[in-house]
Amino acid sequence: MILDIQDLSAGYGSTPVISGIHMTADPGRICAVMGRNGSGKTTLLRCINHVLPPLNGKIRILGQDITRMARHRIAQIISVVPQVNFSPFSFSCRDMVLMAGAARIRAWAAPSRKEQDRAASAMAEVGIDHLAPQAFNAISGGERQLVMLARALFQKTPIMLLDEPTAHLDFTNQHRIMALMRKLAAKRQMTVIITLHDPNLTYHYCDDVVLIHQGRVAAAGKTADTLTGDVLARVLGDNIRLDVTTGGVRVAVPARFDSETNQPQHASANPLTTHEKKRIV
Amino acid sequence: MRLRWVILGIAFVFGLFACLCIGRYPIHPAQVIRLLLAGLGLDNAASGGLADPMVIFWNIRVPRVLLAMLAGAGISAAGAVFQALFRNPLAAPDILGVTAGAGFGAALAIMFLVPAALVIQASAFVFGITAVTLAYVLASLSRDRSPSVLVISGIVISAMFQAGLSFIMYLANPYDQLAQIIFWTMGSFHTASWAKIQATLPVLVPGITLLILFSWRLNIMTQGEEDALSLGVPVMRWRIFYVLVSTLMVAAAVAAAGTVAWIGLIVPHIARYLAGPEHTRLIPMSAFLGGFFLMIMDSVARSVMLSEIPISIVTSIFGAPFLGYLVIHAGKARLSHDT
Repeated sequence: MILDIQDLSAGYGSTPVISGIHMTADPGRICAVMGRNGSGKTTLLRCINHVLPPLNGKIRILGQDITRMARHRIAQIISVVPQVNFSPFSFSCRDMVLMAGAARIRAWAAPSRKEQDRAASAMAEVGIDHLAPQAFNAISGGERQLVMLARALFQKTPIMLLDEPTAHLDFTNQHRIMALMRKLAAKRQMTVIITLHDPNLTYHYCDDVVLIHQGRVAAAGKTADTLTGDVLARVLGDNIRLDVTTGGVRVAVPARFDSETNQPQHASANPLTTHEKKRIV
Repeated sequence: MRLRWVILGIAFVFGLFACLCIGRYPIHPAQVIRLLLAGLGLDNAASGGLADPMVIFWNIRVPRVLLAMLAGAGISAAGAVFQALFRNPLAAPDILGVTAGAGFGAALAIMFLVPAALVIQASAFVFGITAVTLAYVLASLSRDRSPSVLVISGIVISAMFQAGLSFIMYLANPYDQLAQIIFWTMGSFHTASWAKIQATLPVLVPGITLLILFSWRLNIMTQGEEDALSLGVPVMRWRIFYVLVSTLMVAAAVAAAGTVAWIGLIVPHIARYLAGPEHTRLIPMSAFLGGFFLMIMDSVARSVMLSEIPISIVTSIFGAPFLGYLVIHAGKARLSHDT
């Protein structure tokens, strides 16, 4: 077990935004963290990365208490792809990626030729080596997201956190990023924790899911077992229901509305949910 | 990039030579070479009738040119650092109150202490550092650890020292003290001496060296606190380091020459235009251009009129339009906020 979270509470000031969180993660798997806006997904990620100290509970990475680890040591284990990608100064994409070498490079040194080659390899792995000399702020949002992904890969950590990486991307780029994460998690045996809003991306790409509702874990487990119609309706809202395509692929779609009451039909009306296994924590 | 450095190096040599020649007492270029050789013990100055020029050249002009170069390099390198730390291309090195504090210290020395150049310099230096320390203490009382709180604290402390300076000016004798204070607040290198260089050099040279040595980390500091932490950089510790080194440098430069407007803001922009935003290239370029620019500006200040023009007037007249030109012609991509 690479990540172990026990009874975590955290928030801003003394008011907890998340509380009683238990969660574990294993290598080579992608775990989606889902929940409505303000449910505490980003707060959870900030705690795992220890930029927000917990109010209560323990986070262990590779068996070590994160609160006792030096900043550069945490950065050797956890990399982050942040939600907003903007640089106040327009560095080249190569320079943006190279920044992830900080945890390995001495404070007075700049990246060596070897580090520069490694950064180039990370960019090539993501398929953006052609962007290396371009100004980061002059490329598209999707390309920036890929640069940030290459940066996290160059950091070469066993755990990668992605905060809504698909939020501002078009359909093609959303799937491009997620497919890449799928491939990289398997190839590098990396633990990927990713906050998502779209249940369909979770169905397609994530092994596990943790659903957070009002700061608490509402359901957690393997995606296929956990992300049921009932759970979707209860956590993400009753205007979502689960459907199955003719090809047998599960999709989350807007709920049917009752024409008389103008209310969404409850997810329990969905025939699938009665046969689905679910695990409520 | 290498070619740019070669061109700039040649321009610098010519500029330096011109600055050593021109002034209230013009010295012929051939004579400058002889004076330089004489200073190095390779020519006999007295036998060549160079006794008087020797004194002017080595005791007044050379220290003045050197001091302007040092101050310009220090303030500009500090400006680039502050812009990175505060993630704001409009940040200037006096954003935390160092200039206001130094101005108050200088005025205090002129009014109440011995108004000798070195006493004024020492007082300005101490109060410059005091102002930034107070801004830091004030910011640390807030729960918010973002750089904007530090900037607001700097504004508060600057305003208080500015009020103190104004009060001293109100009390000052208008015939001598007030004029001296006003001249100081507009900056000048006319009191440059080897003693001033001795007091400034031990702060500015190690300071610039440290900033160049640790320049790569500044790239990461521009990414914001959380991103920098995620990349493994303990932000608070490094912020204190950069602010401390830069403040010492600016305080030393301002204490020696008075307020030097604009160059800490514009030179990093010009440097960014020539070297790009990456700090291992930007900091040396800022230091080099700052030294070069202020050396030329000081020569203009002491040459264009019969009486000396305060340096801040010259740097503003040349600097501000040049920045405007860059904004219009260089394109936003080179300067900062863009997409």
